[in-house]
Amino acid sequence: MAFADDLLKDAHHLAARGGNNPKQSSLRRAVSTAYYALFHLLIADFTANWGVIGERSRLGRMFEHRKMSSAVLKLQDKNNPTLVEIELKKIVSAFTQLQEDRYKADYDVGWIWSRTDVNNTLAIADEAFKTWRSIRKEKPVQHHLMSMFGARH
Amino acid sequence: MVPAAVVQQSEIDAKVREVEEALKPDVRHIRYEIGEDWSGQWAIFFRIVMSDEAAKLRLREVATNVVWRLGERLDFTSLGVFPYHNFRSESEQAILREEAWA
Repeated sequence: MAFADDLLKDAHHLAARGGNNPKQSSLRRAVSTAYYALFHLLIADFTANWGVIGERSRLGRMFEHRKMSSAVLKLQDKNNPTLVEIELKKIVSAFTQLQEDRYKADYDVGWIWSRTDVNNTLAIADEAFKTWRSIRKEKPVQHHLMSMFGARH
Repeated sequence: MVPAAVVQQSEIDAKVREVEEALKPDVRHIRYEIGEDWSGQWAIFFRIVMSDEAAKLRLREVATNVVWRLGERLDFTSLGVFPYHNFRSESEQAILREEAWA
């Protein structure tokens, strides 16, 4: 998971640049990098299940941003989700928020980022990393990861 | 197809005002708009202006509370939208003076 962790550290570094007068370019790169950190964390976990190590990067490139966020989270009982499902739901929400933020950061030049918003975005990514690592081996989590890859239920 | 949220804006307004009131003085005000997100899905975009103190000292606590309370009062699934939340502090808005956040 080193690459994803390095990206998250980079995001924090970029967000802290400029003191009280940060450049929009640094804030935008911070937001975009935070999204990609989580993106690569999930992909690395998925591809780690693939036995042929040399093919893992190719497998990872098959992930699509749109499919990942549109994957439907299936709960065993939607009125009574398990603790793991509640945590997984938080990660799905975090991923979707970060993805929209990343789109704004990379393409919407009219959107002005504030340090507060960027700090919040990074905190969302931090929490998603922590939560993911606490539940990543659970069956519903691996099942949803497969859905994010594009597999049907 | 247009989501239910588009025709239920007066109800959404009322619920948003309730959340604003409940979270004062940490939350100064909440604005929102309904539109499509990057992927073309219908969404509701909340813009939340926080007090400087909340933004500096209790950002995640207050932000999480805002997200939770809005989700508690508004059934986004029934409204046919996915919620997105962005934040800024009062002093940041005073400098940026963006109408969409005012």
